[in-house]
Amino acid sequence: MIPISYNVRNLAVRKATTVASAGGIALVVFVLASSLMLSEGLRRTMQSSGRADTAIVLRKGNNAELSSTIDDPTVGIVRSAPGVKAKTDGTPQAVGELMVVAFMETSDGKGRTNVQLRGVPTDAMDFRPEVRVVEGRPIQPGTDEVMVGKSISGRFKNLRLGDSFELRKNRPVKVVGVFEAGGTAFESEVWADLEVLREAFGRRGVVSSVRVRLDSPSRFEGFETAIESDKRLGLDAMPEREFYEKQSEGTTLFITVMGVLIAVFFSVGAMIGAMITMYAAVANRKREVGVLRAIGFSRLNIVVSFLFESLLIALIGGAIGSVAALGMGLVSFSMMNFSTWSEIVFRFTPTPQIIGTSLVFGGAMGVLGGFFPALRAAAVSPIEAMRE
Amino acid sequence: MSEAPLIALKGVNKTFSRGKERLEVLNELDLDIPKGSFEALMGPSGSGKTTLLNLIAGLDRPTKGSVEVGGKDIAKLGDSELSRWRSQNIGFIFQHFNLIPVLTALENVELPLLLTNLPSAERKKRATTALRVVGLEDRMGHRPNQLSGGQEQRVGIARAIVHDPTILVADEPTGELDRNSADEILGLLDKLNKDFDKTILMVTHDPAAAERASIIRKLDKGQLV
Repeated sequence: MIPISYNVRNLAVRKATTVASAGGIALVVFVLASSLMLSEGLRRTMQSSGRADTAIVLRKGNNAELSSTIDDPTVGIVRSAPGVKAKTDGTPQAVGELMVVAFMETSDGKGRTNVQLRGVPTDAMDFRPEVRVVEGRPIQPGTDEVMVGKSISGRFKNLRLGDSFELRKNRPVKVVGVFEAGGTAFESEVWADLEVLREAFGRRGVVSSVRVRLDSPSRFEGFETAIESDKRLGLDAMPEREFYEKQSEGTTLFITVMGVLIAVFFSVGAMIGAMITMYAAVANRKREVGVLRAIGFSRLNIVVSFLFESLLIALIGGAIGSVAALGMGLVSFSMMNFSTWSEIVFRFTPTPQIIGTSLVFGGAMGVLGGFFPALRAAAVSPIEAMRE
Repeated sequence: MSEAPLIALKGVNKTFSRGKERLEVLNELDLDIPKGSFEALMGPSGSGKTTLLNLIAGLDRPTKGSVEVGGKDIAKLGDSELSRWRSQNIGFIFQHFNLIPVLTALENVELPLLLTNLPSAERKKRATTALRVVGLEDRMGHRPNQLSGGQEQRVGIARAIVHDPTILVADEPTGELDRNSADEILGLLDKLNKDFDKTILMVTHDPAAAERASIIRKLDKGQLV
């Protein structure tokens, strides 16, 4: 084998071209890793929003709360279904909630987007112990008060503590609290009293969804059978986790496909960059290759050596791109979740697998970009090379 | 009965094609070189000296004829077999030294040993010994650009002998050197021939260099004269 130090030192000698081609690959790896981290962030945010022992009931055929409608009598039937856990006072642990959206202006004034408003019953916070008011206080039932999820407080105009905004025309509400919900999708919502929201949006007597706490996750099947077998109800039951996973599917797929497409598009440029660098390296070192061939190194040895050099450039670029992408982990990101048509805030979430995949992608660019130059190097005739 | 020659060329032709033009560089050449001889090949430019050297060193194959080295017709070997054969039997000394600029003297000398199964420590030991033979053990860590022309050529010679080949081929080994350095290099080749029993084949234009050889052969228009 031709020593690795030969490749490493050659890269060090031609610093400028090494940095330029590694930079191109770094950009591709950065784009790819960032988009995968974004998908992962959204997936985890949505997934963590669901609990294993909780089921959600929606109108049959609806995958999102926004489009589902369930009337109060039906909510009563769901609450009394088998498997639903009871509170200490014997009443079922279940919440019927209304989901609507408000079109709100972002705090930078650059645009307007949908924000999810959840109308919650009085026991909503007991139902979700992970929800904690971190600023101000919880809303009082029956009042024009709202509390805002931590992720979107401050991202929109009038969503800070003490601000007021109009739910509908002439229906002002006041922000009295900011809540945390363990980094889940709830943190991207505004919570108001269920009755207030119903009235403001003309949705009296209906909710969008019913969530029930089950005695245990294993009770889901019995609960589902009870709900879905009564065709008159026209309802679908689903474990809450599965519901949120489905909610993120379309958007994560969109981010991943976009990211991969952009990365592939950029990678063509980066590969050409690596190829030009390696062709130049072969041309400059033709005589050296000739000497190595004369000494007895085989064509395969030469191919492997130049491919390795190209791979090394790619790995340097890949490492830079990955570190830059890891830096994105500090940034939170806000975008439209296509399943709810509302803004959701989440983080770039790195995983070893994402970094590994991105590095392999970068490495592959190096190997592909270096392939033809390496073949050209192997084709160098020692006699011709040394005559020059 | 006399000993069989180490190198035996029989009826060797070498023709190069340039477009439609065919250029006959060697023509029905026969040559025997005994083991342990130090031979100089002289002749005008284009007489076929380097081509002949390349054939004997296994860098090229004849158009016709056989090139037997140590009883083996190397003209019949495939590309990778020929590479392996060169790595075991031939030491190259070049006019332009052809050291790898990014490697130190020791690493340059060690290169041929990377084609063997020797462990790293043994390779380093042998490369150091080869540098000692050429008197450069104190320059082991220097890169080629930190050495004089004469020193570079001595590193080149150390690289040529480190794997203990039977034959050394030298193409104008003193062509780039001043008289003093050239004399040092020729003295070194003489020592390698006499003390280490290396068969040396040297192409040169320099009559003073050729005089150091035990046999001087002259080539003209592709034939020995």
